[in-house]
Amino acid sequence: MGKTLWIDLSKQKVEVRELEKSFAVKFLGGSGFGIKWLYDLLPRGTDPFSPQNPLIFAAGPLNGTRVYGAARHSVISKSPLTGTVFDATSGGFFGVFMKKAGFDAIVISGKAEKPIYLTIFDGKVEFKDARELWGFTTKETIREIRKREGARVFVSAIGPAGEHLVLLASIMNDEAHTAGRGGLGAVMGSKKLKAIAVTGSQPIEEAKPEVLDELLEIMKVRITWNPLLGNALREIGTAALFNVINEWNLLPTKNFQFNSFEKAEAISGDTLREKILIRRAGCYNCPIACKRITKTKRMQGDGPEYENLVNLGSMLLIGNIEDIAELNYLCNELGIDTISTGGTLACALELSERGLLPVKIHWGDAETLKKLVVDMAYRRGVGDLLAEGSKRMAERCGAPEVSMNVKGLEVPAYDPRNAFGMALTYGTSYRGACHLRSWAIAFEVIGVPNLVNRYSIFDKPALIKYTQDLTMIYDSIVMCQHFAVEFSEEPLSKMLSAVIGFEYSKEELLKTGERIWNLARLFNLREGFTKKDDMLPERLLKPTPQAPGKEVPYEELLNAYYEVRGWDAGGRPLPETLERLDLVDEARGVAP
Amino acid sequence: MSTVKMSKMDWEIYEQIKDYAFRLARRKYITAHGGNISVRSGNTMWITRHAASLESLCPEDIIKVRVDKPIGHDLVASTETPVHRAVYQKTGNLCIMHAHPPYTVALSFFIDKLVPLDSEGYHVLKEVPIVEGSPGSPELAEAVADALSKHWAVIVRGHGVFAASKFIDHTYQLLCMVEHSAEIYYLTEILKSIGKLSFIKPKAF
Repeated sequence: MGKTLWIDLSKQKVEVRELEKSFAVKFLGGSGFGIKWLYDLLPRGTDPFSPQNPLIFAAGPLNGTRVYGAARHSVISKSPLTGTVFDATSGGFFGVFMKKAGFDAIVISGKAEKPIYLTIFDGKVEFKDARELWGFTTKETIREIRKREGARVFVSAIGPAGEHLVLLASIMNDEAHTAGRGGLGAVMGSKKLKAIAVTGSQPIEEAKPEVLDELLEIMKVRITWNPLLGNALREIGTAALFNVINEWNLLPTKNFQFNSFEKAEAISGDTLREKILIRRAGCYNCPIACKRITKTKRMQGDGPEYENLVNLGSMLLIGNIEDIAELNYLCNELGIDTISTGGTLACALELSERGLLPVKIHWGDAETLKKLVVDMAYRRGVGDLLAEGSKRMAERCGAPEVSMNVKGLEVPAYDPRNAFGMALTYGTSYRGACHLRSWAIAFEVIGVPNLVNRYSIFDKPALIKYTQDLTMIYDSIVMCQHFAVEFSEEPLSKMLSAVIGFEYSKEELLKTGERIWNLARLFNLREGFTKKDDMLPERLLKPTPQAPGKEVPYEELLNAYYEVRGWDAGGRPLPETLERLDLVDEARGVAP
Repeated sequence: MSTVKMSKMDWEIYEQIKDYAFRLARRKYITAHGGNISVRSGNTMWITRHAASLESLCPEDIIKVRVDKPIGHDLVASTETPVHRAVYQKTGNLCIMHAHPPYTVALSFFIDKLVPLDSEGYHVLKEVPIVEGSPGSPELAEAVADALSKHWAVIVRGHGVFAASKFIDHTYQLLCMVEHSAEIYYLTEILKSIGKLSFIKPKAF
């Protein structure tokens, strides 16, 4: 079993703990570890910016092995944006090299007196003065730390947005990868922790390498024949989705007032490749390399991904690919979540149009919006209002219905009026509106692993529950969710068993995913969340002439989902569900 | 394709592909979600959607992609899109059909090429090569494109048949011919193996 690192920033104390096998089997790693620790450590109602709120970086059992796509890590904390339990995963190299440095997870609590950064190199931990780095962008911070500590260190850092406790602040690692959502960068900023640098050379073992050899051969073939993994992601990146989503009226446009964009072609993945692409890039040991390094006349950086093209493009009526790329670079360098930033800007534009925002801004005015993003990151002027996210901003402006959010998290880039599975995905995600907790687009649009009717309701509750449980496995082992469109619990259990050296059945694995999902639900229930927090904004449920689709029978879907989950009519896990998932002890702190 | 944005040509192509896809299904040449069909015009190819059931296609099941390079729509197009693209790039064909007819697939485990014994197959197909490769892989794309630059059809061992020509009806005819030849070949080998009859090679077809 591996080791975990517990750091108290207030006392500058470090403790190394051995992982217990029973704990690891029950919660796997990554998000599973983080959600469990957060549940155990954090009393109900704790302020997310309290030193007590831990910030957890966790890798999983497959990270650093030869399994393709196992390069992510999960960052877990209580979100200042949503008040929920929050896990944000990120790709790149950081998670793998955290393990090579000797640790499966780092649990950080307390608050430093002055800005610091941590170095964790081959088991050795040091607290370093970061006063000179405070104020740096994420890119500048990562480059400076590499200059000081060596080029082969891997850095997670916050930018000005995290320092200024912007509720949308992200954590960037290695310039191109981000734990983006939920404002976890602000939690890091509240601890005066500017960055963490890791590296190491500890071996990562595979218990049965010969078994893994065979499984990886099969994995290679299956990657090739999957149209998403073998073709579209490799050739175009996630932006490959753009035109299809637009044509099928799924593309959020003008703050979800429309669901297709007349300038879509000008900002599609194909245009991205023609006009601004420099090269492909990928995470550790990834045969797909879906990331895109791009360049405009003025700037260079990573992306935009599909979500960025929508949230920083069609949502704001921006029809120029270079403008979107620059907005995206800005967000990454300032350390602010691109999805929530786009959603918040779209909300601000609509508020302004209605005369409810203190300043006048205009749809499609990219230059003004770029300046506004900078103001958000530094909480300057009206940027201070936007830095609170769309929900708080719209409430303060007297028009809460203008914010497209669930549980305070801005809605991502698929219109649920034409993909009912996504409605349930957004509503029931424990961290708020999120596309990554059950990406129904895979089976509602792309047809992987199979195609289902976009508007059907009978099958969606069970499919969404299954996909959520599978997602929890992915985020706990911690592997890229792109692979979930081809590799279900069965191949995962075989690969996991080959790595850890003992049988972990597919049934047990799926049950573990379900356990983690229910534990996250218990956390939110303990914080006072109820069924009403699973509801969607009215706008996303009813079609209009500008946003054609079908009315989403959401209440019916939600009730059926609760039943499938083994929850009561209020969305609380039933005693038999808790018993089956071995969560009876945890549930004691939650009022019935 | 979105029905709102479909041109007259798009509709016509949809109707054609739907008709021939249904015929392949009726002949049991495809499994529930197997097989794919494409047609080409200029730099555009219309191809069946990934995971679409060829027995009951709808307009959304026809995806428009480019011949010269992959585009975003490849995301929802058939897994075999790279193979179709490679064939169009290397040959002058305008239609490709891929199916999994049972006699041909079974026979492919035992032979390296199919030389038809029946007169129609003998004259038209002459010889059908057998290649190998994973579905949708660059290796398979190259092998199939090579074969179809010299032959009307090619068999992928343990997988199925690709047939290509300039006309959709001709392509369908070729694919059916391969399966018919495979069936005749199989039956002939069975009769030979019984040993009660002696094989008589036709003097001329």
